[in-house]
Amino acid sequence: MTFKLHPLVIVNISDHHTRVKAQTHHTDDGSGSSGGSGGAATAVRVFGCVIGVQRGRTVEIFNSFELLYDPLTHSLDRSFLEKKQELYKKVFPNFYILGWYSTGSEAQESDLQIHKALMDINESPVYVLLNPVINHSQKDLPLTIYESELHIIDGIPQLIFVRSSYTIETVEAERISVDHVAHLKPSDGGSAATQLAAHLTGIHSAIKMLNSRIRIIHQYLVAMQKGRHTGLHLLFMCLPYSILLFDGCFI
Amino acid sequence: MDSSSSSALARQTWELENNIVAVDGSSGAAGADADAIYFYDEAAQVKFQQEKPWAQDPNYFRRVKISALALLKMVVHARSGGTIEVMGLMQGKTEGDTFVVMDAFALPVEGTETRVNAQADANEYMVEYSQTNKQAGRLENVVGWYHSHPGYGCWLSGIDVSTQMDNQQFQEPFLAVVVDPTRTVSAGKVEIGAFRTYPRGYKPPDEPVSEYQTIPLNKIEDFGVHCKQYYALDITYFKSSLDSHLLDLLWNKYWVNTLSSSPLLGNRDYVAGQISDLVEKLEQAENQLAHTRFGSFLLPSQRKKEPEESQLTKITRDSSKITVEQVHGLMSQVIKDILFNSVGHSSRLRASLPDLTEPEPMVES
Repeated sequence: MTFKLHPLVIVNISDHHTRVKAQTHHTDDGSGSSGGSGGAATAVRVFGCVIGVQRGRTVEIFNSFELLYDPLTHSLDRSFLEKKQELYKKVFPNFYILGWYSTGSEAQESDLQIHKALMDINESPVYVLLNPVINHSQKDLPLTIYESELHIIDGIPQLIFVRSSYTIETVEAERISVDHVAHLKPSDGGSAATQLAAHLTGIHSAIKMLNSRIRIIHQYLVAMQKGRHTGLHLLFMCLPYSILLFDGCFI
Repeated sequence: MDSSSSSALARQTWELENNIVAVDGSSGAAGADADAIYFYDEAAQVKFQQEKPWAQDPNYFRRVKISALALLKMVVHARSGGTIEVMGLMQGKTEGDTFVVMDAFALPVEGTETRVNAQADANEYMVEYSQTNKQAGRLENVVGWYHSHPGYGCWLSGIDVSTQMDNQQFQEPFLAVVVDPTRTVSAGKVEIGAFRTYPRGYKPPDEPVSEYQTIPLNKIEDFGVHCKQYYALDITYFKSSLDSHLLDLLWNKYWVNTLSSSPLLGNRDYVAGQISDLVEKLEQAENQLAHTRFGSFLLPSQRKKEPEESQLTKITRDSSKITVEQVHGLMSQVIKDILFNSVGHSSRLRASLPDLTEPEPMVES
C-alpha cells in the first residue's frame, strides 16, 4: 500500500496538540512558564480521525479532525465520531474515514484496541503517529504511519503494527500557503525585484537539495566501484526520488 | 549543512528587508511564550464582549493575526471549489484591536456571490459543528466568515458589503475575509484580504489609497461603488513552535514539489482570461482617449487636478503583473531544462573524472 499525506493533516495534528497543551498548562497554574520543556513526562495525548480517498492500493490522506478519547475504556467516543463524520461529509463528500491519529513517541499496546475498534468502518485503517517533542537535531519528519497486519506469533494470529513509508503529496495552492507560512513572507506584493528574488530563492533551495542528494548517490556509486557495496541499496535510495522527478520535471 | 545555513541567511536578509516581525519571538525564546497565543481565556473574552469598545470607533479593529492552520484550510477549501465561490466560518478571539483567527471550517454552501443570505442556510451546520468542536477542545467562538473570489481579487462586492454590515450589527465582533485561490496559484503567493465595513451612512476620514489590484472589467463597477464602505485590516500570520519545527522538516520532503510544479500549465485558463480582460480595458481606454482629445482644449486646468491615475497607467500595471508571473513560470521551466536535459553535453566533456564537482547551476552565496 502506498500512502500519500497532505501537509494540512500535519498542521492540523500539530495545532490540536498545541491547543490542548496550552489549555492544560495554563489551568494547572505554576507549571505555566516551564510548560515548554516540561511536556515530556506527563505528555498529553490527543486523538483524532484522518480522512481522505483510497484508490486501489493508494491511500491519500487529505484532512483530519479531532475525536474524544475515553481514558477509562481506552476507546474513542463513537457517537461523536459519527456526528463529526456526518458534518464533514456535507462539505467534503468524497472523503472517507481512512484511520486515526495520535501523538506520542511510540505506538503503544492500548493503541491496538482503538485500531481494532475502527476496523468496522474501514477494514484496514491507518494509524498516524506524530511525535510532538521538538528535537532540533533530527532531520526527518517525526511522523510515522502504521498499518496493521496479521502475523502468526507463537502460533497465535495477532495483529501488530507495521511501519509504512509515505510521501508528501500536495496541490499547488497548499504548497504556496505552506511555503508562505513556513518562511513568513510579507503578504503584499513588494516590488517586482523582491518578488523575483523570492521566487528564485525558492528554486535555489530546491536545487541545492537536489544537488546534495545527487552527491550522496554519486559517493555511493564511487564506493560501489571500489567494490564496497552492492547495487541493492542504491536502488532503494534512488527509486523514490527518480519517480518523483520523472513525474514532474520532464514536462 | 551548507544548504541550510545559506538559505537561513537568505531568509534572514529577506525578513530584515521586509520588516517582518517574527510573532514567535527570537529563536532563543521559550516555546511556551510562542504558544501562549493558543490559550483561550474565556473570562477575558466575555468581558471584552460586554465592554464593546468597537461601538464607539468604527475603525477600532486594525489588525488580523491568522494562524497557519486557518490559512491552509481556507486556501485549500477555496481552491477545491474551482471557479465556484465557496464560504466558511472562522473561529478565534480578539486581543485589543486585533482579531486572532485560530481555525477555519468550511460551510456546505455554494455560489455565494448571487445569494444574499447564504449564511442562514448553513446555520444548523454551524451550530452542530461549533458544539462538537467545543467538546473536542476547540473553545473559541466564531469571529468571522471567509469566502473566495476565484480569479477576481480580494475585495467586498455589494452583496458582501450588505452581509457584513448585518453581521457587524448582530454578531459583533465579526470579520470578513476574502481569498482568491486562482491568483494565489498564478502569482505564487497568497492572495487574501481582511475587511470590516463602516456603519451605514458613516463617512470615513480620508484613508490612504490601498494597494492597487487589478479587477476584471465586468466586476469593476461593483468594486468601485462599494469600495469606500469598508476598510482593509493588516494581516500577519503566526504559527506554533511545533508547527515551525514540522514545517522546517517538511521542507526535506517538499523540495521535490517545488521543482516539479509547473504554474504555466496549471493556470492556462486564468491567464487567458486575464489577457482578454486586459484587451477589453485597452479598447475602452482607446475609446475614451479618442473622445477626450477634443475636450482637452476646453478644460485643461481641471484635468491636471485629477488625483486618480489615468487609465493607461493602470493598464500598464496590469500587463506588467501578468508578464512578471509568466516570466517567473518560464524561468522555472528553463532552469529545469538546463538542469535535467543538458546533462548529456556536460557528461561527454568530463569523461571519467573520479571525483565530481557538480557544475553549480546557481551562484553560491
